[in-house]
Amino acid sequence: MMESCANIQERLGAWVDGELDPVAGERVELHLKQCPLCLGEKGRIERINSTLKNTLEAEAVNVPFAPFWAGVHARIVEERSWQVRVVDWFRLTLTPPRLVWAIPAVILLLLGVLSLERFVPGLGFGQTNLASVESIDGHGMNVALLRESQTKTTVIWLFEDHEGENENTPEPAPADPAF
Amino acid sequence: MELTEGDLVRKCQNGDLGAFEELSAKYYRRVFMAVLGVLNHRDDAMDVAQEAFYRAFKSIKRFEGGSSFYTWLYRIAMNLAIDFQRRRKRNATELTENFDDAMFAQGEMGSDPYREARDRELGGRLRAAIDGLTPDHKAVIVLRAVEGLSYKEIGRIVGCSEGTVMSRLHYARKKLQEKLGSDL
Amino acid sequence: MRAKTKTPLNLLPPTLLFSLWLVLPPGIVRAAEKSQPGVQVKIGTIVASNEADCLDPLLSKMKQQLEVIKYRCYRLLREDSQRVSWLANALFEIPGGRSLLVMPQEYRNNRISLKVRLLEGEKPLVDTTVRVPNRGNFLIGGSAHEGGVLIFSISAATP
Repeated sequence: MMESCANIQERLGAWVDGELDPVAGERVELHLKQCPLCLGEKGRIERINSTLKNTLEAEAVNVPFAPFWAGVHARIVEERSWQVRVVDWFRLTLTPPRLVWAIPAVILLLLGVLSLERFVPGLGFGQTNLASVESIDGHGMNVALLRESQTKTTVIWLFEDHEGENENTPEPAPADPAF
Repeated sequence: MELTEGDLVRKCQNGDLGAFEELSAKYYRRVFMAVLGVLNHRDDAMDVAQEAFYRAFKSIKRFEGGSSFYTWLYRIAMNLAIDFQRRRKRNATELTENFDDAMFAQGEMGSDPYREARDRELGGRLRAAIDGLTPDHKAVIVLRAVEGLSYKEIGRIVGCSEGTVMSRLHYARKKLQEKLGSDL
Repeated sequence: MRAKTKTPLNLLPPTLLFSLWLVLPPGIVRAAEKSQPGVQVKIGTIVASNEADCLDPLLSKMKQQLEVIKYRCYRLLREDSQRVSWLANALFEIPGGRSLLVMPQEYRNNRISLKVRLLEGEKPLVDTTVRVPNRGNFLIGGSAHEGGVLIFSISAATP
């Protein structure tokens, strides 16, 4: 059964360019023998190639070497300003081949820096390892909060509300139960 | 004894400007053609082609011989041309005028003046149509049509897989046929 | 001149994919934390007293923290651990007819926000919201128990 024109035309360009494997190429050839539509398509592809080549060759043939080389030579010997050299350096350095490696390198670096705290505790960006209390409601009881950074201790202490007791004392009164 | 291309490259890597001039003489027209195909503007193409050779000379020490010198040179030129195209867009009228100027600069007609005139007209429309493609699509169609490079080589130059080259070519040709219609 | 076997440009797509792999998992972990099993909450119930000088060996890692409270003796009564889903409540029974209700609320900047309620029966004694570092802890103390006071060490960790 003959392959569909749509399938053949998908591969026609590659066949014209000599890039198809022999088996696929043979199928295309067979189809072209029987299909004037695809044969016309093949002709159009070849025409595009040859016309483009001819027009560009026609222009290039008029380009003498001497002035061309003069332009290249002038660039080589010219003293470029440091700004231009810096911009050129960035352009050359950050072309896609190098950017390919820059992308994961930057990401790894950022992850490393942000994860520093995990591996070297205390080396974070000012982030403390101390628990922080956002709210306390003692429901009528006195509550004291103690935070000690050296030992990373946060303590919420409950006091029974007795008269005369120093409510600001963080240390508990051992003899008096809180409840 | 005649020097091989490898010898010339090695001499260039040692700073020999004369060796680089020889290499340039060998490849300048082909580089110019490819760049012109992408930019469709003679002066810009000249500028970019010269810049490509300048950059090739500046970075020739980094050339390791993994590809041919010409492929490596082409890669620099194509990247510059695509980059240039992206940064500066020119309108179609200006491009057509440039093309017409170039056409008048050509020499005598051949044996079939009618056919040649028709081809020149088609060539102009074709280049205008190519100008409507993205720089990436232009690059592959120019490299294939003008240089006859394999998909693998084209992929190395523009930095994509062979499959991508194939699909870009297919797309570009389809677009050109749509624009040119019965002209082809 | 040694040939390169691969063109760097051809490595752009896989390298970008690799970069995504570096970036996405932490993002996915963070984003999925609310849908994953949640937070491992551990409650250590400690009795502190001044009877003698003692430190339960199981509390040796907490020695410096407990010294801040300035009792002489610390014994670990029990330790309970539960995996608690985000925004879900977990109830921990504690001695003396009391209980601790813990709700992990959110995870931000490597800190877990916990809502904690100490109950006596059904009566709330204290409500607090604490941002504790992942794998960190804080203490709630003061309830009388068997001649001493109870101290609860509440710690939380995400997987």
